[in-house]
Amino acid sequence: MKTNRIRKTMIAVVLGLALAAGTNAYADGDDSTHDHGNHASYNAVENHAYTQECSACHYLYLPGLLPARSWEALIKGSDKHFGENLALDEKTSAEILGFLKSNSAEKTNTEWSKKIMKSLGSSTPERIMDVPWIIKEHREVKNAFKRPSVGSASNCGACHTRGHEGDFDTVKVPK
Amino acid sequence: MKRGLSAMIATAALFVSANAYPALNQDMNGLIEKFQKEADVKSFSAEDGRKFFATKRIHSKGEERSCSTCHTADPRQKGKTVVGKVIEPMAQSINKERFTDPKKVEKWLKRNCAWVLERECTPKEKGDFILYMTTI
Repeated sequence: MKTNRIRKTMIAVVLGLALAAGTNAYADGDDSTHDHGNHASYNAVENHAYTQECSACHYLYLPGLLPARSWEALIKGSDKHFGENLALDEKTSAEILGFLKSNSAEKTNTEWSKKIMKSLGSSTPERIMDVPWIIKEHREVKNAFKRPSVGSASNCGACHTRGHEGDFDTVKVPK
Repeated sequence: MKRGLSAMIATAALFVSANAYPALNQDMNGLIEKFQKEADVKSFSAEDGRKFFATKRIHSKGEERSCSTCHTADPRQKGKTVVGKVIEPMAQSINKERFTDPKKVEKWLKRNCAWVLERECTPKEKGDFILYMTTI
């Protein structure tokens, strides 16, 4: 009986320690990865229709990566989207465009969105990889895009593991 | 008690037999019945659906395309989009969410028939395809 109770207490203590350690490790990880400065004010935005329609095929690009005029061109041409007809109904495309425009690069208050806007001039890129500042930022990793672990330059998340949160500074290029 | 139970079973049996395709929910039965009327057929063929899924054709861009280009030759496997994003299995036996929402099914048929065939799919092709995907 007594040994049983001692065993139970020991288990509780070990569990408690493990839990505390776990919480601590999480907090540490959180602190170190959030401490990049230039995305501290970024609130990741989401829209159900955008996620459903767009991320079924490709990476869910943050709306702040392109100016409103680019999103307008992309949705307007959604029946010829890089060779594909997205078959969006009117209501869905209006909802998606509304979401993209209200969170576009002009409306996003981060260092990266400001640099994107500044580099554009009067151009209206339809690919994020056609934004001059983004091209410049990737000039040293161009060869990594072809790696099977990356797939293509459209797969941002392969290297920008926290890109979906607006953190493009945390980078881990897979082998 | 016993009578109550058998009455319940009878009611349940009636409910089930009301759907011509038991693998599909009521909404999807509605969609497939619509295709049946449009195609003017009494039933669909999973075997024709299997052949349709595997049929390769040369796209006007010069490349070979079929459903299995992205979904692999076995719809129970995970597939990959042209830019490398994983596609969950199509077969309902593996992925219970598949073929439960007629609106979603019609949208994707429209999108992907255009990609593979450069035209809309016929009601017969759509019905056979759905039957294959929900019985394999």
